[in-house]
Amino acid sequence: MNDTGSVAEGSAAGLSNSKARSKSSGPVHWWIRDFPARQREAISEAITTGSLAKVRRALRLIQELAVEQQGPPLTVELLSTYNLEPILPVLELGLKCLPTCPKVELAPLNDLEGHIVRSVPRRADEASARIVLWRIEEILPGVLFPLSSGFPEQLTAQVDEAISRAEGIVHLHQRHAPGTPLFLSTAPFPLHFANPVFAAQHSSGPLGAVERFNRHVRELAATHQSVYVLDVCAWAAALGKSYSDSLFDLMARQPLTPEGQMAFALFLARSLRPLIFPRRKVLAVDLDNTLWGGVVGEDGIAGLQLGHDFPGNVHLRIQRELLELRNRGALLVLLSKNNEADARLAFDSLPDMLLKWDDFAVRKVNWEHKHENLRAASRELGLGLDSFVFLDDSDYEREQMRQLIPEIQILNESGDALQILRALWETDAFDSLAISDEDRMRHRDYSVRAARDVQGHENDLQAFLESLEMEVAIEQVNPSNLERVATMLGKTNQFNLTTRRHSRAEVQQLASQPGSVALALRLRDKFGDQGIVAVLLAQSGQNGQASLTIDTFLVSCRALGRGVEDALWAALIARAREQKVQKLEAIYIPTPKNTIVAELYDRLGLRRVEGSSSGTRYVLEPVAPATWPAWISNKNGNE
Amino acid sequence: MSDHDELRNLLIDFFGLSSAVQNEELSQSSLPAWDSLAMVQLIGELQSTFGVEFDLDQIQALRSYSEIRECLSRKGVNLAG
Repeated sequence: MNDTGSVAEGSAAGLSNSKARSKSSGPVHWWIRDFPARQREAISEAITTGSLAKVRRALRLIQELAVEQQGPPLTVELLSTYNLEPILPVLELGLKCLPTCPKVELAPLNDLEGHIVRSVPRRADEASARIVLWRIEEILPGVLFPLSSGFPEQLTAQVDEAISRAEGIVHLHQRHAPGTPLFLSTAPFPLHFANPVFAAQHSSGPLGAVERFNRHVRELAATHQSVYVLDVCAWAAALGKSYSDSLFDLMARQPLTPEGQMAFALFLARSLRPLIFPRRKVLAVDLDNTLWGGVVGEDGIAGLQLGHDFPGNVHLRIQRELLELRNRGALLVLLSKNNEADARLAFDSLPDMLLKWDDFAVRKVNWEHKHENLRAASRELGLGLDSFVFLDDSDYEREQMRQLIPEIQILNESGDALQILRALWETDAFDSLAISDEDRMRHRDYSVRAARDVQGHENDLQAFLESLEMEVAIEQVNPSNLERVATMLGKTNQFNLTTRRHSRAEVQQLASQPGSVALALRLRDKFGDQGIVAVLLAQSGQNGQASLTIDTFLVSCRALGRGVEDALWAALIARAREQKVQKLEAIYIPTPKNTIVAELYDRLGLRRVEGSSSGTRYVLEPVAPATWPAWISNKNGNE
Repeated sequence: MSDHDELRNLLIDFFGLSSAVQNEELSQSSLPAWDSLAMVQLIGELQSTFGVEFDLDQIQALRSYSEIRECLSRKGVNLAG
C-alpha cells in the first residue's frame, strides 16, 4: 500500500474491534444473524456475562419467535458421569443459537449403559445425537491416587477396563440406536490431584491414563460408523483452569465455572452443527496484502513480502491454510483488482509462492466490482451465493460484499494479516465431521465455463457507496501535504495517467507557478480518516493562462472504485472555469501497470486528438462543467 | 426496598420472581426452586457478579436474602438499597 502510516492505524483499530467482538460472540454472531435485534442482543449479553438470569431471559425471548424462525428441530441426549442438570439452560441456549429448536434429554447421572438399553430407537428422519460425557474422576478414580491404587500394574488393568467399557458402550449403542450419531467425549486432564511432577513420569498415572483412554476413544470413532469424538480434553486444555472450579465439583459434581459453562455450551453446539447445517463450499480470496504482503501493481514483485521470515511468513502460512482447505474439498476463487498480467507474474516468479494459479477453480483478476465477479463465479461453478465465504484485507471490499450479497459469510473482521490467519484457524464455515474421497478430489472436477453474463447491480452499488459516508476535502498542494504528495507520485503505479516521478522540489515548483492548479484530495469515510488519496497537478500552457495541461492525475490503490477521481476532476474543472481557462489538455501514457485508466479521459468526456509516440493525447474545449459525485460530500462546499 | 438493590434484583432475576416479592420471602425455606442444584449456580452467579469468593463455612450460611447480604457486606461489597 502507498500509505503505510494510515494502513498501520487501520490495522490497529481493526484488531481491537475484532477482539471485542469475538469475545462477545465468536461464531454465534453469524449463526444468529437472522434473529431479530432484541433476541440477538439478549443472547450476546447472556454470552458475555455468563449469568444464568440473562441466559433464562435470552431463552424466553427466543421462545417468543415463530417456530420457523427458531431453526430446525434437534434432539440431544446427554449421558454423563458428571452432573449436567444445573447447566441445562446454558446448554439449551448454545443449541438454540445454532439455530435449532432443541429437545435436550438428560439421562440419570452416571447411568450410561442402563440408559442406552432402555432407550427406544428414533425415527430415521429425526435429527438427533447421543453424547457420552465422562471423566476419569468417575470412570477411573483410582488413578488420582496412584500409590493407594496398586500403582503401576493394577492401575494399568483399571485403564484397560475403562477402555473395554467404552467399547461396550459403542456396541450397545449400535444395537439399540443404530443410525443415531454417537459422540464420545474425550476425558479432560484432571486438574485437582497431588504431585503432578510425579504423575508426569508414568504412563499409568492420572495423565498417562487419560492419554491412553482418549487415544482409544479416537480409535473407536475411526472404526465405527456414525461414531464421533467430542474432544472435551482439547477444549478444556485450550480454556485452561478457568473452565473448572473445585468448589462446584465437590458441591454438586458439576465442575464448570459460569464462564466454562457458556464456553462448553458453544463448543458443544459447534461440534453438533455439521449434523444439521452444510458447510460452506467456496472461499473467495483476494491477492494483495492477503496471499502476500504489499500490492503487486504498486510495489512490484521485488517489493512483496512472502517467505520464511516475519512478516512474509504470516502470508505464507495463510497460503498453507488455503491449500489445506482446498485439499479438504473447498473450492478457492481468486478475486483481485489487479492487472491479470501482474498477478500471474507474481504467481510465476515469487520463489516462495505456494498456491498455484490452477489451485483456484475460478479466477477473476480485473477491475470489475468484486461483488459482480463473485456473482459470476457463483454462476460458473453452479453453486449458490450461500455456499461462499469471502476473505479480503480491505474494509471497503468486505463492507461492500456484506451489504450487496448478505448471504455471503465474511471470514475476517480485520485486514491485519495475523487476524486473517487467526480467522482461518477459528472459522466454523468449513467444519465437517468427516472428509470423503470425493471431497479430496473435488477441485479437479470443477472445469469452469468461461461464459459470464454480469448482471447490473448499479442501484445496490449506489446505495453501498452512499453508506460509506465519504467526505472529501480538496486541498492546495502546500508545505504541509507536500511530503505525502511527493511520496504518492513516487509510488503510485495503477491509477496514474502519466507516472511522472517528480521530486519534492519539482512538485513545489510546479505548484507555485502562476496559473497552475495543484490539488490533493483528502478522504474520510465511516472507517476513519484515509488521508490524502488522490493528486492532480496541472500547468498553465505555453499559450498563456487560457489553457491548462494536466501533468499528473493519480489515485491511491486504497481508494479505487469509489469515485474520488470524479470528485477531484470536478474540483479541477471548477477552478479552471474560475480562472477562465478555455482549453484543457491531457495525456495518457501507458505503462504495464496502468491499464485501469486507459479510458479514463474518454469517460470524463475529453476528445482524443492525434496521438504521440509517448501516449494518447486528449483535449477538452471549451471547459464544460463537471458533475460532483452525489455520494461524496464536499467539505469545501459545493463545487 | 429499592430498584437499585443489586442483590435483590439478582435473586428476582435468578429465580424468575415477581418484582413485588418481599425480601423476607427470598429464602431457601420459602422458595422451592432454591434447592441444592440452584444453590451451586447461585453461588457462581454471586461470585462473578460481586467479584468475591466464598469460604466453605460461608456457603452453609447463604440461605436467604439477608444472610447473603450480611455475608457480602462482611466481604466489603458495597450494596445499595
